[in-house]
Amino acid sequence: MVIQKEKKSCGQVVEEWKEFVWNPRTHQFMGRTGTSWAFILLFYLVFYGFLTAMFTLTMWVMLQTVSDHTPKYQDRLATPGLMIRPKTENLDVIVNVSDTESWDQHVQKLNKFLEPYNDSIQAQKNDVCRPGRYYEQPDNGVLNYPKRACQFNRTQLGDCSGIGDPTHYGYSTGQPCVFIKMNRVINFYAGANQSMNVTCMGKRDEDAENLGSFVMFPANGNIDLMYFPYYGKKFHVNYTQPLVAVKFLNVTPNVEVNVECRINAANIATDDERDKFAGRVAFKLRINKT
Amino acid sequence: MAQKTPEIYSVELSGTEDVEKTDRGGGGGKEKYRGLKNKRLGLRKNHQKEALKKELGLEDHKLSTKELEKKYGTNIITGLSSTQAAELLARNGPNALTPPQETPEIIKFLKQMVGGFSILLWIGAILCWVAYAIQYFSDKSSSLDNVYLGVVLALVVIFTGIFAYYQEAKSTNIMASFSKMIPQQALVIRDSEKKTVPAEQLVVGDIVEIKGGDKIPADIRLLSAQGCKVDNSSLTGESEPQSRSCEFTHDSPLETKNIGFYSTTCLEGTATGLVINTGDHTIIGQIASLASGVGHEKTPIAIEIEHFVHIVGGVAVSIGILFFIIAVSMKYSVLNSIIFLIGIIVANVPEGLLATVTVTLSLTAKRMAKKNCLVKNLEAVETLGSTSIICSDKTGTLTQNRMTVAHLWFDNQIFVADTSEDHSNQVFDQSSGTWASLSKIITLCNRAEFRPGQESVPIMKKAVVGDASETALLKFSEVILGDVMEVRKRNRKVAEIPFNSTNKFQLSIHETDDPNDKRFLMVMKGAPERVLEKCSTIMVNGQEQPLDESMAEAFHTAYMELGGLGERVLGFCHLYLPADKFPETYSFDVDTMNFPTSGLCFVGLLSMIDPPRSTVPDAVTKCRSAGIKVIMVTGDHPITAKAIAKSVGIISANSETVEDVAQRLSVPVEQVNKGDAKAAVVTGMALKDMSPEQLDELLTSYPEIVFARTSPQQKLIIVEGCQRQDAVVAVTGDGVNDSPALKKADIGIAMGIAGSDAAKNAADMVLLDDNFASIVTGVEEGRLIFDNLKKTVAYTLTKNIAELCPFLIYIIAGLPLPIGTITILFIDLGTDIIPSVALAYEKAESDIMIRKPRHKKKDRLVNKPLAIYSYLHIGLMQALGAFVVYFTVYAQEGFRPSALINLRVEWEKDDVNDLEDSYGQEWTSYQRKYVEWMGYTAFFVGIMIQQIADLIIRKTRRNSIFQQGLFRNKVIWVGIASQIIIALILSYGLGSVPALNFTVLRPQYWFVAVPYAILIWVYDEVRKHFIRLYPGSWWDKNMYY
Repeated sequence: MVIQKEKKSCGQVVEEWKEFVWNPRTHQFMGRTGTSWAFILLFYLVFYGFLTAMFTLTMWVMLQTVSDHTPKYQDRLATPGLMIRPKTENLDVIVNVSDTESWDQHVQKLNKFLEPYNDSIQAQKNDVCRPGRYYEQPDNGVLNYPKRACQFNRTQLGDCSGIGDPTHYGYSTGQPCVFIKMNRVINFYAGANQSMNVTCMGKRDEDAENLGSFVMFPANGNIDLMYFPYYGKKFHVNYTQPLVAVKFLNVTPNVEVNVECRINAANIATDDERDKFAGRVAFKLRINKT
Repeated sequence: MAQKTPEIYSVELSGTEDVEKTDRGGGGGKEKYRGLKNKRLGLRKNHQKEALKKELGLEDHKLSTKELEKKYGTNIITGLSSTQAAELLARNGPNALTPPQETPEIIKFLKQMVGGFSILLWIGAILCWVAYAIQYFSDKSSSLDNVYLGVVLALVVIFTGIFAYYQEAKSTNIMASFSKMIPQQALVIRDSEKKTVPAEQLVVGDIVEIKGGDKIPADIRLLSAQGCKVDNSSLTGESEPQSRSCEFTHDSPLETKNIGFYSTTCLEGTATGLVINTGDHTIIGQIASLASGVGHEKTPIAIEIEHFVHIVGGVAVSIGILFFIIAVSMKYSVLNSIIFLIGIIVANVPEGLLATVTVTLSLTAKRMAKKNCLVKNLEAVETLGSTSIICSDKTGTLTQNRMTVAHLWFDNQIFVADTSEDHSNQVFDQSSGTWASLSKIITLCNRAEFRPGQESVPIMKKAVVGDASETALLKFSEVILGDVMEVRKRNRKVAEIPFNSTNKFQLSIHETDDPNDKRFLMVMKGAPERVLEKCSTIMVNGQEQPLDESMAEAFHTAYMELGGLGERVLGFCHLYLPADKFPETYSFDVDTMNFPTSGLCFVGLLSMIDPPRSTVPDAVTKCRSAGIKVIMVTGDHPITAKAIAKSVGIISANSETVEDVAQRLSVPVEQVNKGDAKAAVVTGMALKDMSPEQLDELLTSYPEIVFARTSPQQKLIIVEGCQRQDAVVAVTGDGVNDSPALKKADIGIAMGIAGSDAAKNAADMVLLDDNFASIVTGVEEGRLIFDNLKKTVAYTLTKNIAELCPFLIYIIAGLPLPIGTITILFIDLGTDIIPSVALAYEKAESDIMIRKPRHKKKDRLVNKPLAIYSYLHIGLMQALGAFVVYFTVYAQEGFRPSALINLRVEWEKDDVNDLEDSYGQEWTSYQRKYVEWMGYTAFFVGIMIQQIADLIIRKTRRNSIFQQGLFRNKVIWVGIASQIIIALILSYGLGSVPALNFTVLRPQYWFVAVPYAILIWVYDEVRKHFIRLYPGSWWDKNMYY
């Protein structure tokens, strides 16, 4: 076959192509007559129209099986993950104390992140709940009754609240605050009715040494039960996620420090081999000082 | 011939052992001769070309003894000296045929490694490693996923390559090689002494002695011969033994009597000869090298698969490149674009298909082997199905290759004898007194005898000592009269003159078995005209009558008629010697002929032919109705060839040749309108003068053609002529003379029992039972396999779209990847393999033997409707169905379809561990990864479920599934079961192995795609319904693949 093709001259090939595109004898365009093309187009119009309808129908039927306020299955979310703020590339918190720009973006992000926690907003939207117990809001017969959220005031974050803070969450002084948050999971009763808290440490011994001392807000890294359970974004509109702020006071400068924070709660395993963020979060901290 | 048969049988049975033996033994031999072979390689090539062009150039038969002695520096009395012989041996090499050049195994293996889709997959693998290298340089800790994928792809290529290689090696039945034809020992005169030396060490100039039963050790010029007859059938196709003497009788070396050919058999007598050619220079050697010089054509199925690979490869590469460009212009990084490219290639290439095709072909090969068609070259399985012309040898293929009594003439009447394989049905009138006399002559005037110890063997299969005609007569009389030996014992022979070519008759004198009759009975048989000369009376209805003009006229008419049938006619007469002149004690002397040899009583004529096999006419008819042209090509005489052609239907009963028309109209041949003749009998002489154009015209204008008196080269020319007509040509043959044509043919078919080793070597297929009818079975299987391969390809191609769409959607809409590359490989090489093989077991939809053979260039394996229907119809439905399963899994886990659009970048970031879903929940990267794998598994299951429907619809292309029978092909259900079981194992068994990307799936997800599976089935039934309803319509043209 190949050999035969090679035998044809270039002109012949062009001629054949021309004839293929428009054959004046048979009135064929690209090997088909007008009627044939019309049939083809009509056929595919009908056929693909039908397939689209079929797909839409099956998708609609499928979506009927999932509810609006809770997902059908939560088997993958048995252990909520932990995450830090500021959210940085590869979770590397690098602060060049003298280089304002290096940390300013973090500060901007944090400002934005913490804005909903402002006491005024919290007071306006959320309830003051009783600490130490879950804030359960059963539907009581009313389907999908909107849920209230508990207040988490920015001032609870103490030195890390950033309110009236000239050090910009400590970034300008090399004593940065890192905020730990736990992933929201609907209807998850974190802590199993016992108090829980977040603890941080250096990953290895030298990390622990380099890490130095730190303070946590709220004290002890406590997370109160009243912020649970979460009822989903549709009905738990103003839900405010509890935070734990960690202020690193004297990190050895110019060294990369691996920090790991984990939650100590009765019903949250933190030793999942595959999921490195289940109940814990690891990040790198580096304070560059000249 | 009869002696030869059992020998060959035993060769057949121990075939594999022999191959091993030669393989093992060959090592040393090869080493020894390697140097010689290389030296001659260049020579051989030129030599081949010359041999192709000119007929055999041999002059030695024209030389006198003295000239020969001079030419070869030998002495016919003392022979060569040992030193001379050693020198010559060193110079010319051993007297053995160079074995056909085999492609080295490593080359065969490497071909498998780079053939077909392998190149694409290699590219994929290399791209994987390139991608990793890019990743590695930008980030030293990047994951090894791409390396693994590359390794997996490479392994896929290597394993499918090994598999195909193994399959091919297993089924390439390396039959007994040329070396087996070499006679082991030869009696040679050297240093004035008779010595026995291995035939391999014979050199030109040696004087050898041969006797009955020997194979002739080299080409020899006979110096003396006593009653020597040779069987040249393997060389020339003539079934009759040829007598040999030392006289130069014909210009052509093939016809002259004073040349004996290497590897032919000396049937009887003794002879001394001078070796004139050895090894590859012998006539057989030249034909053999002619055969190996003929390139093997690509099989039609190989062309089809290549075509298919081009199409699919083209689609893969163009979509790949298109989306590479799209991806780059959508601001994806080059790295990502490369990874997309790999995914697209892997999704587009049906990795398992070529292996499936190999398995399918070998399954059919096995099935055919059961029906006595042994396939040497796997791809030849299909070739037979697309055959449009069969060039059949006559002797041994169409005929039984043994002389058999066909007609009798006595009482002025021609009787037909049964020529079927067992002679069981002799219906002619046996009550006449003439028959009693004739049968007595037949019995007594015959020197052939059954070999002892064959009591349990059927008469027709018994081995006989004697020449072909006598054997025929012996068996004929044994069947009709019973124990011939006993009759001969009762009629003791007192004198005998054996047949010789000067007398042209055979005579013997016997005592009669009637105790009251003391006369001697003289019986004679021979060439009819010579016998008639000696007769003065003729027997009619048991009564002697004077042989008058009218009776002589009747004799001549009968003689001509039988001769015209291509039969060999013998006359029979007898004479009761008067008791007074020849008393019981009379001593007959055959040298002085002291008895009368004239005035005998003519009894009858008997004619013999090598009759067609009884199954052949039927098989020829079947070929005809299947649109296959059957052409006879033989070395035999035109008259015999035509007679056989007529009797088997190659020339049908009512068609005439130009000569026939001329005879009927009594006009010269030139005046006949060529259109009136449907049949043509062309001799080698006429063929010699034809230009290729004339041959083309001959082949196209006559539907029924017989070539007679053709040489091996001409067979080759005929095959090439047929191939110029775009025909797929099958050639059948058994002799060495057929081997070049067998090789040249698209499919060469050799006879397993009667076939020479050279023929079997050159052939692609061997008929174990020598039965032409087996070819018909082969054609049927071949056509079926083509149809079924089409179904397999359609089945396999369909899911490519379902595998490809995820990547395209992934690139364009940014959904989390619906199916992983590894998962695709598990479909292509896992769940889909057994079902696609199962389609090979599908029965034909209609009678495939009444349609025309497929046109090699028009009826493609993969045609436009097939590709479009598989890709754009069924494939698309599959993709939609699988996407529904995928969306279901994500939605029920928390990610509604709307949330998935453009989620890809965040989704894939390892450092995003709080990705929000549709419900406000947050996900770590591993949690998402797991959902992604669930998605893979769900998509996989979706495709698998719909492939079940695809498998069922592919059972037929035109008929409804319910017409075909849903449960008739059990293997399909094995295939379906295997799909489901493999999927279950992958999901539930290996779901915990992270590298495989499979997860446990909720039971209900297995059923999400079922509506689409049903839709596929219904849609296809509708398609088939309209195709059946409106044949030839727009629908039929566009939807029938």
